[in-house]
Amino acid sequence: MVHNFRTDLWVDWCPGCGDFGILAALQQSMAELNKKPEDFVVLSGIGCSAKTPHYINAGGMHTLHGRVIPFATGIKLANPNLTVIVDGGDGDLLSIGAGHFVAAGRRNVDMTIIIHNNGVYGLTKGQASPTLPRGIKTKGLQRPNIMDSLNPIALALSVGYTFVARGFSFDVKHTKELILKAIKHRGTAVIDLLQPCPTYNDINTKEWYEERIYYLDKDPGWDPVVREATSEAVEEKYMQAVKKSLEWGDRIPIGVLYQNEFVPSYEERIAEHIPNYFSEPPCDSPILNSKGEPLSRMETVFSDRLIRK
Amino acid sequence: MASIDIDLIIGGPQGGGIDSAAQIILRAFSIAGYEAYGIREYHSNIKGRHSYFHVRVKDEPVRSLRYPTDLLVCLDSESPFVHMDDVSANSIILYDEDLTNTKLDQVLTMEPETKKHIAEKLKSEGYDTTLAGALRYAEKRGAKPYPVSFRDLVVESLGPNKSPARYANTLGASLAMAILGLPADFTKVGIESVFGKKKEVVEDNEKIVNAGYSYVKKHRPGNGTELPVRESGDRYIITGNEAVAIGKMIGGLKLQTYYPITPAADESFFLEGHDYFSAAEDDEMTAESDVLRNLGVVVVQAEDEMSAIAMAISGAMTGARSATGTSGPGFSLMAEALGYAGINEVPVVVTLYQRGGPSTGLPTRNSQADLMFAVYGGHGEFMRIVYSSGDVPEVIEDAVKVFNFAEKFQVPVIHILDKNLANSFYIIKGIDYSKIKIERWKREESKGEVERFKFTDDGISPMRLYGKDIIWLTGDEHSELGHITEDPETRDMMVEKRMMKANAILKGIPENDQVQLYGDENADFTVLSWGTNKGVILSVLEKLEEEGLRGNFVYVKLMHPFPSDLVTRYLSKSKIVIDVENNYTGQLSNLVRQNCGIVVDNFLLKYNGRHVTDDEVYDGIKRIIKGKEKRVVMTGGA
Repeated sequence: MVHNFRTDLWVDWCPGCGDFGILAALQQSMAELNKKPEDFVVLSGIGCSAKTPHYINAGGMHTLHGRVIPFATGIKLANPNLTVIVDGGDGDLLSIGAGHFVAAGRRNVDMTIIIHNNGVYGLTKGQASPTLPRGIKTKGLQRPNIMDSLNPIALALSVGYTFVARGFSFDVKHTKELILKAIKHRGTAVIDLLQPCPTYNDINTKEWYEERIYYLDKDPGWDPVVREATSEAVEEKYMQAVKKSLEWGDRIPIGVLYQNEFVPSYEERIAEHIPNYFSEPPCDSPILNSKGEPLSRMETVFSDRLIRK
Repeated sequence: MASIDIDLIIGGPQGGGIDSAAQIILRAFSIAGYEAYGIREYHSNIKGRHSYFHVRVKDEPVRSLRYPTDLLVCLDSESPFVHMDDVSANSIILYDEDLTNTKLDQVLTMEPETKKHIAEKLKSEGYDTTLAGALRYAEKRGAKPYPVSFRDLVVESLGPNKSPARYANTLGASLAMAILGLPADFTKVGIESVFGKKKEVVEDNEKIVNAGYSYVKKHRPGNGTELPVRESGDRYIITGNEAVAIGKMIGGLKLQTYYPITPAADESFFLEGHDYFSAAEDDEMTAESDVLRNLGVVVVQAEDEMSAIAMAISGAMTGARSATGTSGPGFSLMAEALGYAGINEVPVVVTLYQRGGPSTGLPTRNSQADLMFAVYGGHGEFMRIVYSSGDVPEVIEDAVKVFNFAEKFQVPVIHILDKNLANSFYIIKGIDYSKIKIERWKREESKGEVERFKFTDDGISPMRLYGKDIIWLTGDEHSELGHITEDPETRDMMVEKRMMKANAILKGIPENDQVQLYGDENADFTVLSWGTNKGVILSVLEKLEEEGLRGNFVYVKLMHPFPSDLVTRYLSKSKIVIDVENNYTGQLSNLVRQNCGIVVDNFLLKYNGRHVTDDEVYDGIKRIIKGKEKRVVMTGGA
């Protein structure tokens, strides 16, 4: 039987939650990759979206509020053969964990980050998240949002993400395709996944999104991929994506906005000074020799601290 | 008794080559067959403020420092002022005579509070607030000023175009070695060993050595006897930070994460410089295992300490021996993730170098005030091991052991150290690998989803790893499978599973690795302490024993879970117990009271951030035993 990546837990999200679409898209894309379930680790932070790993039958790590990216980074660096997927809320990744979101762009570890973007902190009764525009009053708020929203796409581009995309969680098929592209991308891929919160966000509803989204992939003139390793080529695609990231309101573009595979991954940068990093990754690198003695010795490793007579 | 016992301080501006001078002194003495131990004291500053290296040289192993120092080498105008109380009869103060008329107010590098305290001392005894006044203050205490014109000697040996300030450190070191009677050849070899690759620097400095030695020949401060050259071999000079790195590497470290912080960062920085190396020879290695000939350690500079510990936790859950290193402020940020490691029973090692707190506190000074925080830090109750080490040889072995503890018992381990250890220099011959054992978790092969948190008699489940098993971790309370549960019965069982590991830990760690008793069980008095005061205490107990005062020493290493039975056994026979710690509240005594019900009410404490020395522990113990004082605060050090 084909592994369907489902666990037998009851999924406890509210009816109509955008998380359902993301979960289904994730499970389908994982099944399409023909890997063993233990070859994946799906990680999450805190909140509704953070329950995702428990519903996926594969390695799962439900971590702390804001810290999901560092936990994911540790898994990938210790075992670069794993496929690592991060599921984080907009508050998790862009507020309490914003520093890690920035650092991840600079590192370019080969992993996929999915932002469950619904504009609110659902599990704590609907406070404004960093993606909710100023002046908007969703039904959970005491008064209209007093802070400006940030632009996840522009932020991701500016800190160096090498794959930046946006999707809509209720289009499961499109989301699945985006996830597959993100996983296959070498480097950190981020997907800003727009999703309704039917309980606390009565502004950005399913219908609201459906009226506004349009598919970049359907425009034959749209090419988000950097095709050659020149600064001119990078600049062209980068500026095109930044410009596109500013479109919000009546029309909201979804699809891949930017992809650049000419940037070495963090793991490749490690392998520059540890040549056997991929063949002997930290998780499997031996500690003892055949006699059970330590393989690392002061005499060989730290000979520069030896003061000869 | 050592027939050679020299204590030396070399002080100067931060960035003025004190580190190189320290290395030259250590290496020269090491090559001449001596033992040495030193500590670097410095401000949180890159260039300019006063720093000094305090070192003691003996013809037997050295483990502590003392005041008064025998030779104070002043490379700046601040040194004679701030160290004027560190000398006494027969101490020599080597200083730059061109600075003699410097007024206290002109020493821009000195903090106003320090100036005020020094001015008060000088004025109260009727001395000028000048460098000359400070020298006379020291002279009254028996010290002998030894003037040298640094500028004249540099110009004489290198011509007028070289900056005297640039050579002050090597000139100071050379003059010091000449005064102490170490033959010039050793000083030259020391310099060559430090500046090895820079030919011109070595040549210039050899001229400086010659100038220094011939000056001392002309102006002998003592009887001019040379120190005997001793039998020596190849030896390692390493700092505490390096010792931890070495121990971790031997123990099989594969992932080290950190965020820069004093005094922990040097450990990771050193690891970064040694992250790919050849493995030990192994006769039985076949051609297929050629790949084993080289090993790597991934060292990651994280974006903050929360990230550093998160990465290390994940690394550990893939099977890589993973650790992070930090100090108080960073450990504060790690507290939440420490609880995550606790509830998920993750074998991660956190190396915690204590420094003066709270908040930024004294970022480059010593402290033992984070013991309670290491034991209790984080919300909720969970099992952890807090393990302490006191000196370089011990910490190398302990850095291996803490990985073993973490994996055997599947708990986070806080390896609690301090700034004194981080910045102390030791000369070691090598490592006895027969003493080093690596023990790991027990794993079982699995298929499909498995219970990461399987209930067992001792609370320790078979280890499960990402990439090898299908497992779930969560910071929520969880089922055996690792899924969220709020079921009350499961909650009780899980809390008990985690907490009952205390029994396995106290049973599984050898007694001698938990608490060490030095001296006779029926001594006249007992010193209770932990960490880097070990060396000073042992040294002082020897001295007191010669005077007929027989003390023993209960040295606690396992701080949590607390070895209550052992400590009770050792302390129950004690007549007077003196708690020696570098904090205000006597945190170890609180653990003893809480866990053993034994009230320790004699305290010898220090919290000014400076290293503890023999003289103040000696005086303190006497004041408590003979003078019946209950609480003595040690205040030594500039």
